[in-house]
Amino acid sequence: MILGRVVGQVWATRKNRWVEGKKLLIVRPLAWFRPDHECGHVVAVDPVGAEVGQDVVVCLGLPARRALGDARHPVEASIAAIVDRVEVHADAAADGGPRFEFAHGSEPSGLDVRP
Amino acid sequence: MIRGVVLGQVWATKRNPRLAGKRLLLVAEVVEDAAGRRRSGRVVVAADDLDARVGDAVVVAFGSGARNAEEACSRDVLSDAAIVQIIDSE
Repeated sequence: MILGRVVGQVWATRKNRWVEGKKLLIVRPLAWFRPDHECGHVVAVDPVGAEVGQDVVVCLGLPARRALGDARHPVEASIAAIVDRVEVHADAAADGGPRFEFAHGSEPSGLDVRP
Repeated sequence: MIRGVVLGQVWATKRNPRLAGKRLLLVAEVVEDAAGRRRSGRVVVAADDLDARVGDAVVVAFGSGARNAEEACSRDVLSDAAIVQIIDSE
């Protein structure tokens, strides 16, 4: 899964019948992992009820399709959870290298950095 | 699968029911190259059943491998990444 922030919503009148009635949100990744190419945003189906400005966990790929009840949905991203708080121990992975930090402007809103 | 180190935890009350009860951990990918062992800069949110702790070196499985970590051949879990091993030594 990836951590991201909901930055907008997409509305469409003409759409594939499998995404009929589905709320689609635009999510900007805060911590990037997948897809393999770095991307500015993903469009994700929202069965949970997230709103613009909230931080979310997004599930990608087949599990995202399965979560809609049928693997035939033309969907590859689904909101899995709305984030309350993110606790990070910045030195945990330093291992002699730099402390972990989110990129500037990409800090989750409930971020709690522990020493 | 990738090797990573646990950075912290993500707390979420409102969830898709298919992800209920899972601990969600932030894991930084660790790679090894000519410059030595270092973080790649990629960070993933992984479900955890093994009670991994902050700083633990772990192996993360993706895709259907991650769903099998929850339950063999499970198709209903909404998870594309799961911690499947906590590394003792290598």
